[in-house]
Amino acid sequence: MNEIFDFKRFWTYFKYDLKQAWRNHSKAAIMIGGASAIFYVIWVLASLVFTQHWSSPIIYARMGVFFVAFAILELYMVRTYGHLTDKKAGSNWLMVPASKAEKFVSMLLMVCIVIPLLFFVVYMVIDGFLSLVDPTYGQALFTGFTGAYSKMLEVLAELGAESPIVFTPSSFIFPTIVSVFCNFLYFLLCGICFKKNKLVSAIAILFGLSLVLSLLTGIFVPRIFTNIDFNNMDDMQVARWLTGCMNAGVILSCLLTVGLGWGVWRRIKTIQH
Amino acid sequence: MIEISNLGFSYGPKAVLKNISMKVSEGNIYGLLGENGVGKTTLLTLLCGLKKPQAGTILVDGRNPFDRQPSLLADQFYLPDEVSPVHAKAIDFAKEHGVFWPNFDLEKFTTILAELEVESDQRMDAMSAGQLKKTWIAFALACNAKYYYLDEPTNGLDIPSKAQFRKAVTRYTAEDSTLIISTHQVRDLENIIDPIIILDNQAVLVNASMQEISEKLYFDYGTEIQPGALYLEQTPGGCIQVYPNTTGEESKVNVEAFFNTVHAHKDLVKPMFNSEK
Repeated sequence: MNEIFDFKRFWTYFKYDLKQAWRNHSKAAIMIGGASAIFYVIWVLASLVFTQHWSSPIIYARMGVFFVAFAILELYMVRTYGHLTDKKAGSNWLMVPASKAEKFVSMLLMVCIVIPLLFFVVYMVIDGFLSLVDPTYGQALFTGFTGAYSKMLEVLAELGAESPIVFTPSSFIFPTIVSVFCNFLYFLLCGICFKKNKLVSAIAILFGLSLVLSLLTGIFVPRIFTNIDFNNMDDMQVARWLTGCMNAGVILSCLLTVGLGWGVWRRIKTIQH
Repeated sequence: MIEISNLGFSYGPKAVLKNISMKVSEGNIYGLLGENGVGKTTLLTLLCGLKKPQAGTILVDGRNPFDRQPSLLADQFYLPDEVSPVHAKAIDFAKEHGVFWPNFDLEKFTTILAELEVESDQRMDAMSAGQLKKTWIAFALACNAKYYYLDEPTNGLDIPSKAQFRKAVTRYTAEDSTLIISTHQVRDLENIIDPIIILDNQAVLVNASMQEISEKLYFDYGTEIQPGALYLEQTPGGCIQVYPNTTGEESKVNVEAFFNTVHAHKDLVKPMFNSEK
């Protein structure tokens, strides 16, 4: 028997984890995913009361609601495996005969792919349905997003012709995905580390870190800029410098995400009840 | 075979287990007895791998439980004192959860559950504490594991269920299965546990079979009070007296009286039994 990772056992465990996730988190994911419908109802009612006209939420407000719902989903990750710190449920989880690596990979897939995908599908289906049934609603967000992506490609192509920096969609999409994973893993890690007040503790740490980072940035960034003579740099050099900064940011995000993943792994490995 | 060598575990500065060494052989139902706070639950959680030993080693068939290797996890089942409610029907829980134990028998689960008078299509999060415990007991026994660590399994069970539990344990566990049952309710289990392990503050006082106990101590259920009894307890029909067995005569071991005897005469009784076997 492979004690580290066995694909057959992993598949069995992943199916089990999926069922548990569906049982424990589908309601919340659907509720968060259903934010568009809730917002739509509130907006329509408010417009009927205050203007006596049927009016649907404008696209920018809908996009705003989508991003707020997504942020709530990120915060919700503290709950997905929060039961691990509970003596009864956590002991039960630890004693399931699957390897630590299988449990870890399943956890990552669940938090980074399955639950967000469920949210996204529910959100887009409801939004698409509203767009179909109410002519005042406008186009579905999904169409809006794909349209925005096409527009981004056009802008990048224009920029590419003029600018020495080569931008591609991946220049933006990859860092976005990494930062989203980073957020998911951060809240997951807080969920499996703190026994009580998981969300408050997670936000408090984030707040503290932001303060420290702002302080450090305030101290070091001006020093870096004073040491660089931008006046004697040509466009190509500035472009290289900017690309270097962007890459450094992406590498830092990747390292942070890997670090958080490692933290989750360590916690799974060492948790005791 | 479970081998414990110089095991140590503390909660902060308070040492609970210190230098514990013993061997647990296969095919027995061990009764793990001890006063509150001597580390019975801690020992069980160490054995199943929920805790990491701070000193010494535990080897279960040569494997370290804290590594939580799937092969060992599939060979064992830990039933805590307080079990977790699951958001599912008992039968669905068993179907989903049982797939990880290679010898899990769903039919056995439903049979034991029926004997314990719990409906298999009842939701576990709507069950009473006793019903939930019974469901977990049925599940544990249906796993057909090699090692069972049961922490106070009869707590919360009604009187008929305690009898059903005893029956289920003797009927549905394989002959080579090893059960370690921690309990304060010795009367609930005294007919099924053999050998007996008595834990004291940081030490194993006794690890002995009923046969050994009856060879070394005599349990007198008569009415006449004997001088030199190590332990004496008045009962409605007479009394129970325990004294060293000097004649070699056999007697039925009363586990509660034995525990009280050991508790009252630790220094005298401990050398009688080699606790490190």
